[in-house]
Amino acid sequence: MSTDSSAPRVAPAWRAPLVVIAIGSIAWWALPDQLGLLTRIAITALFVLSLDLVVGIAGLATLGHAALFGAGAYAAGLFALKASGEPLIGLAVGAGAGALLALASGAFLLRYHGFTFLMLTVAVAQIAASLAQKARDWTGGDDGLSGFTMGPLLGRFAFDLEGRTAALYAIAVLALGLYVARRVVDSPFGLAVRGIHESRARMAALGTPVLRRLLAMYTLAGALAGAAGALSAQTNAIVGLDSLSFALSAEALVMLILGGAGRLHGALIGAVVFTLLHHTAASINPYHWLFIIGAALMVVVLLPPQKAWDWLRSRLGTKA
Amino acid sequence: MSHSIRRSAAALTISAATTLALTSFGAAAQTVKVGIVGPFSGPFAHYGTLFKNGAEAYIASQGGKLAGKEVELIYRDTGGPNPGQTKTLVQELIVKDKVDYLGGFVFTPNAFAVAPLIQQSQTPTVIFNAATSAITDKSEFFIRTSYTLWQVTVPMAQWAAKNNIKKVVTAVTDYGPGIDAETAFKSEFAKQGGTVVESIRMPISTTDFAPFVQRIKASGAQAVYTFLPGGPPNLGFVKAYNENGLAKAGVQFLGTAEMDEFDLQKFGDSALGLTTAFHYSAAHDSPANKKFVEALKKKDANAIANYASVGAWDGMHVIHKMIEATGGQKDGLKAVAAARSLQWESPRGPVRIDPKTRHIVQNVYLRQVEKAGALLVNKEVQNFGPQIDYGLDK
Amino acid sequence: MQLLANVLIDGLAYGMVLFIIAVGLSVTLGLMRFVNLAHGAFAMIGGYAAALLTREAQWSFWIAVPVAVAATAALGAVLEALVLRHLYRRTELEQVLFTIGLSFFLIALTNALAGPQVQLIVLPPLLAQSVDLGFRTLPAQRLLVIAAGLVVAAAAAWTVTRTRFGIWLRAAVDHPDTAATLGIPIRTVQCASFAAGAALAGLGGVLGAELMPLEPYYALKYLVLVLVVVAVGGMGSLPGSLLAAVSLGIVETASKYLASDWGGLFFFLAMALLLAWRPNGLLKR
Repeated sequence: MSTDSSAPRVAPAWRAPLVVIAIGSIAWWALPDQLGLLTRIAITALFVLSLDLVVGIAGLATLGHAALFGAGAYAAGLFALKASGEPLIGLAVGAGAGALLALASGAFLLRYHGFTFLMLTVAVAQIAASLAQKARDWTGGDDGLSGFTMGPLLGRFAFDLEGRTAALYAIAVLALGLYVARRVVDSPFGLAVRGIHESRARMAALGTPVLRRLLAMYTLAGALAGAAGALSAQTNAIVGLDSLSFALSAEALVMLILGGAGRLHGALIGAVVFTLLHHTAASINPYHWLFIIGAALMVVVLLPPQKAWDWLRSRLGTKA
Repeated sequence: MSHSIRRSAAALTISAATTLALTSFGAAAQTVKVGIVGPFSGPFAHYGTLFKNGAEAYIASQGGKLAGKEVELIYRDTGGPNPGQTKTLVQELIVKDKVDYLGGFVFTPNAFAVAPLIQQSQTPTVIFNAATSAITDKSEFFIRTSYTLWQVTVPMAQWAAKNNIKKVVTAVTDYGPGIDAETAFKSEFAKQGGTVVESIRMPISTTDFAPFVQRIKASGAQAVYTFLPGGPPNLGFVKAYNENGLAKAGVQFLGTAEMDEFDLQKFGDSALGLTTAFHYSAAHDSPANKKFVEALKKKDANAIANYASVGAWDGMHVIHKMIEATGGQKDGLKAVAAARSLQWESPRGPVRIDPKTRHIVQNVYLRQVEKAGALLVNKEVQNFGPQIDYGLDK
Repeated sequence: MQLLANVLIDGLAYGMVLFIIAVGLSVTLGLMRFVNLAHGAFAMIGGYAAALLTREAQWSFWIAVPVAVAATAALGAVLEALVLRHLYRRTELEQVLFTIGLSFFLIALTNALAGPQVQLIVLPPLLAQSVDLGFRTLPAQRLLVIAAGLVVAAAAAWTVTRTRFGIWLRAAVDHPDTAATLGIPIRTVQCASFAAGAALAGLGGVLGAELMPLEPYYALKYLVLVLVVVAVGGMGSLPGSLLAAVSLGIVETASKYLASDWGGLFFFLAMALLLAWRPNGLLKR
């Protein structure tokens, strides 16, 4: 699973988002009965994309990313409950909350690296989860934050039972997030961060303010994660404590590694494949779907699809 | 195209094709579809098995059909408290599988999450377990056949006061139903003239209950009133109670669901004499209960009769009556109207659905653990009579 | 005063359980640099084996436990030799992915074979009783755990610093190629170390079964706690793990006594503060 970061990227930033919109629209049209699943996939993809900025681009493995998602979700939910049901402002509020938490926690966390950083992200996320549970009057505690209804999107498209509006909304935000991520990662700032991933010492020697660059990337990731959380709050009309859970962080990391970290589209692939796999396996056998996922993960590591593909091509005699 | 894009296209195609292939093509018009939503994997997976056994045993006991219609049960796994996933699953059940009824639900946030869906689609939803009072308020299509904490706690508080227990310490798991239990006990016990000397809240992830048991000992109370969510925490708390000598120290155990038949045998003789107030005991002596236990054992010799499986059994009974009332057609309003006036003899005793709150009104019993042959059972020593959901009363 | 004594005793017992489970992971993580997130699964397997032997086969506790631990070690050795050793050269993220997949698989297998119910280990009468310490009672099993923790700590420390195997292990980790040219059997050392880690996990699963009930999800449920102890104690530092486990156990117990409605906040706050102060582990600078 090597990154091709050594080669200069020439693909324009709008290509991948257009592919996302195309595939998303086809899925929206072809599967009108499963738009809830489609929405969920889009939100998860955005979340895992934000994780890729931290893990794949900046090289910081984190198991606390759910804190940023949850912050966005609760912020958007509270905004809808107390202020206004307007979705786009709520989305901005969620993204802002995620960014704010990332900025605040990152200032502390980013001084550490490796395993220490990983465990500290766990601590921050668990502390956030404990606080959310304690602040029952604000967050609803275990019962979740509910009772808010979303207004129509852009003043015209109401959130319907089948989830038509929600699915297109989520896909659009995902495409936008991907565009922003792509632009940032391909910019000189993005290159600097990737340089820091490869060698902190070298970048520091070049005069790069390492901590500031990492903090900026972490904050951006927080904004995208917060946006994903806001989407979740708005399309589900409820926010549960599971939005801050360790399980969510761990699952996102698994999806990212599955799809391949560091290339942005790997995040989307991992999210789609894992969610579909889980959904399919669970509906076949709700008790034993974990067998399938466990086996799939092990197989993917032992026989990376890349190698299998190459082997297949060499056997078939075609040039690589 | 590069390797990675080709790989991703392949993966996407395979995944999409698999999902499409599993699309149900709609069954015959005679089949009534019921979606059962609950945890089938993860730490609470035992609820899923209990629901499945209770529901399927009921259908088998009615000869395989309900009101002359074939019934198809579709199971969906929510994992734990996961409102987002539950909403997605129920949305699919309603829109794609076109279920006529929904059943199940263990966790409050999951039930809250689907309230707008069932309200809009007019899908009657029977709650087999979730015990927070506020749930039935969220949609007129919720009907509950389990219990609420207020319902089982109020009579216990009254009994404690009548039996010269003046000082009690409450120890509950720190989540919705636990806090309901604490609030209910405090309010009723105070009304009866007693005092709650301390209210201990135990985090939901607790595995080591020794500190809490020490606090209970130190509180100077005559009894501890407790509620835990079922499964490993219940086991851990009761063991800690026994191992740390609380009974010897004179602190009486007043529980609710802790003597759940699912884990009861594991306590051994140390559980003898423990008192609980609850709505169902597998040892309830009635023909209806005998029929229930037999039906369960016929389905699976290892099946356990407890509050969750009886919640599913009675839940299917309500669905049965709703199918009868609507002639197998999907008519949510008619079905719920019919459900509101139901009363029947359940394995737990005589029950009825309260027309105003759509919650089950049932007898709550005082039980003590005794030995019946080689097994431990919850013997009903007193019947508090029919209790409503006091939590909605306010 | 009573409160302090209670906190110390209960905290020590809880901390010892964490230590016994965590020390195996500290070994694999620190000494072998292999991220084994299936460690919790080994603890679970050890516990399940002991439960099965004492309950179904009705063996004596004192025989069943060593057998269960040996079985877990054997399973660990087999997995290492057949599969895991191919992952030593892979990136950490790939090791994470694989071992999480393995954990999922083992959870599903346990659920399929033994069902979702909690498994109880039948304790011998000696351990099932409560010991009266005068001011309070303590289950005898907790005393065993505290004693076992101390024995494990001593034995592990002695093995790593005083035996030839320990020297081989440290050499094999730091400079595998040089060690190989010196004739140290690298593969044997790696396999034996992994098996030892698995055995310790299994022992932890057995001894901790009173506090951490054995059910299929065990494998992942307590993984975070174990990782915390390893991180705070410092990877590969056995005395560090002991200190970390006991300290965090006492903090967690104190919070249950004094501020239980804050949940796990203080545990993770303490952990964050300790890690921020000593990022490489409590006893390393």
